Amino acid sequence: MATSSVYTPAGFNFSNQIRNTFLQERGVPLPKATSTGTTIVGCLFKDGVVLGADTRATEGDIVADKNCEKIHYITDSIRCCGAGTAADTEFTTALISSNMELHGLSTGRKPQVVTAMTMLKQMLFRYQGHVGAALVLGGVDATGPQLFTIHPHGSTDKLPYVTMGSGSLAAMAVFESGWQPNMTRDDALNLVKAAVAAGIFNDLGSGSNIDACIITATHTEMLRNVETPNERVQKERRYVFRRGTTAWKTESVRKLIVNEETTIIGGDAMDTS
Amino acid sequence: MDRVDVQQLKSGEVNLGTSIMAVQFKDGVVIGADSRTTTGSYIANRVTDKLTHVHDRIYCCRSGSAADTQAVADIVHYYLQMHAQTTGTPSVHVAASLFQKLCYENKDALSAGIIVAGWDKDGPSVYNIPLGGGLFRQPWAIGGSGSTYVYGYCDATYKDGWGRDETVEFVKNTLALAMSRDGSSGGVIRMCVITEDKVERLFVPGDQLPKFWEGDEVLPTAVAWK
Amino acid sequence: MPDMNSLAHPQQHQFNPYTENGGTILAIAGEDFTVIAGDTRQSEGYSIQTRYAPKVFRLTDKAVLAVNGFAADGNMFVKKVRQRLEWYRHAHAKDMPLRAIARLIQTMLYARRFFPFYVYNILGGIEEDGSGAVYSFDPVGSYEREACRAAGAAQSLVQPFLDNQIYFKNQTPAQDTSHPVHLPLHSVLALVIDSFTGATERHIEVGDGLEMYVVLARGNPALQSLQDLPGAEEVTGTQAEERVFVIRRDLKKD
Repeated sequence: MATSSVYTPAGFNFSNQIRNTFLQERGVPLPKATSTGTTIVGCLFKDGVVLGADTRATEGDIVADKNCEKIHYITDSIRCCGAGTAADTEFTTALISSNMELHGLSTGRKPQVVTAMTMLKQMLFRYQGHVGAALVLGGVDATGPQLFTIHPHGSTDKLPYVTMGSGSLAAMAVFESGWQPNMTRDDALNLVKAAVAAGIFNDLGSGSNIDACIITATHTEMLRNVETPNERVQKERRYVFRRGTTAWKTESVRKLIVNEETTIIGGDAMDTS
Repeated sequence: MDRVDVQQLKSGEVNLGTSIMAVQFKDGVVIGADSRTTTGSYIANRVTDKLTHVHDRIYCCRSGSAADTQAVADIVHYYLQMHAQTTGTPSVHVAASLFQKLCYENKDALSAGIIVAGWDKDGPSVYNIPLGGGLFRQPWAIGGSGSTYVYGYCDATYKDGWGRDETVEFVKNTLALAMSRDGSSGGVIRMCVITEDKVERLFVPGDQLPKFWEGDEVLPTAVAWK
Repeated sequence: MPDMNSLAHPQQHQFNPYTENGGTILAIAGEDFTVIAGDTRQSEGYSIQTRYAPKVFRLTDKAVLAVNGFAADGNMFVKKVRQRLEWYRHAHAKDMPLRAIARLIQTMLYARRFFPFYVYNILGGIEEDGSGAVYSFDPVGSYEREACRAAGAAQSLVQPFLDNQIYFKNQTPAQDTSHPVHLPLHSVLALVIDSFTGATERHIEVGDGLEMYVVLARGNPALQSLQDLPGAEEVTGTQAEERVFVIRRDLKKD
């Protein structure tokens, strides 16, 4: 008799693959993955790098999350913005963050940004674009400030200012007209904010608030909701329902307290003192 | 149905639309490339470096899928490092054969057209590895979508026995012509002169490209408006 | 590079004359008034074409038409309806009654059964008996009279809200009471505004601006309060019988 294996392999589980292809052939649509329609940007300045992101997550035309976090932690001085399939960006960055921690521990050095970039590109290339993560990776290491983009198929670019996601064209327009070398920290932050705002207001896939992250050699500053240009407006009416609004067909009330009766059979009761 | 479709990029893939080139001369090789990387009609990078280092005196020019060619170049770079440690400095032919092996054995999964060029103890050499994974030694090679426009120019212009400066001019002019005709190529020209002594990088900004016929001569009214 | 292998198989190419331009419209009929509203964003894919493209149009002093779907068809359809209404005026020396406009729209839509106007129409106004009325149409002319209707991109968000708040669906009344059949104008306007602020928050194609048309029946007591409302603009043609107002509000622009 064949016994089932107790060994669970690491990595993705493909046991539903055959069933799902069958269902797809029968015309059953696959569930929609939450995607971060997204504007994510990054920009080098005099002594560091600024990353920026909007906070809207969408499922098709519907806003799934109005204030999600798209700037993910890699190490203390490396962060990564994610666009594309939300789950893919979260898990890839978390996995690489974990491997970077181990790498740092085994080498006894602060890991470099290129190391994270190489790990990410090799993983994404291995999955041939099926892991839909489009990333902006930035940080400061022993070689100075670094900024990369990583596309879902595993190609990378190294540039002084970058944008990704559906709002990348709007944001890049701002960078192309406003970026200059050796900017100050404040100028860089303002430019990043303007680039993300361009995405928020001109791209339907992006919206809500601006997150930013400033990384320098000595300090990493995460500016969550640094700008909130789309506050929720007050509703005209209050929607409170009177107790008893919902109709019911049957009613049953169950007692949640369990009564136990203890009968001692032989010997003394257990000493619980 | 079962046929391998090497022409097709995966949807949404980052593409090196590209004009690339390598020419050998007496003392070395000159390699060159445009700098455009596109996703559909969007230019994802306008200053791309498609001249990729794989060993001290061996470089490759990449065309096709950005992800595929980067991955292949990274693997070859690693193999050549191992080769240098165990067997000694690799020849250009060794590097080209590694590229060819990877491109041939994975032809169903890759869209990569690569030119390998460099200098070794036997002198300069240029190897072309087109889409299916063939390997051809040539005195000069052009590649990428822009190359189709300039085969005639190259055939008519190239001469054996050139020196460094003439070769650089040839590469620069060829690429400028390819970039002006091919919409997927453009930006700046990057070149490398690889000789025994050194690898020299040359850069031509987008507003200083060599100019050829652009139509003013037959459109006198357009000149008058200026 | 074109894919050489795919040329071996037959390939079908077809020009698609339709686009979906987003946005949402709705209309609610009261006892002696009707509110017809729509947002003003016009989009294609993930891009905004304009932040102000009206989707609601006054046809006569007692009829307002909201169009949603493919904007080019919508504008052309309104133009053609207005032309037919003008011909009617010349022939009969009066405005066409609301129920007749509804039937006219049905025939105009069905005339294009096999190359439809890609548009969802909602017609609102005052009937000859002085009651508020809403007529909703599908793109090929099927229509019915209702008390309220939402259409467009955020229909699936707004219609359930309206069913709950206007028809009191899923709300059992308190003992010995019953739900009102008609809501007063101020409640309806509040519900319309909340519908659109809500849709703006959760639907990416809704936003920028809101235009609400209010059609009041003869001698409606709400006339004074509407005239005093800041931001309300009267757009009535002849100030004799029914009165038409438009109220504009900002919506979020992200």
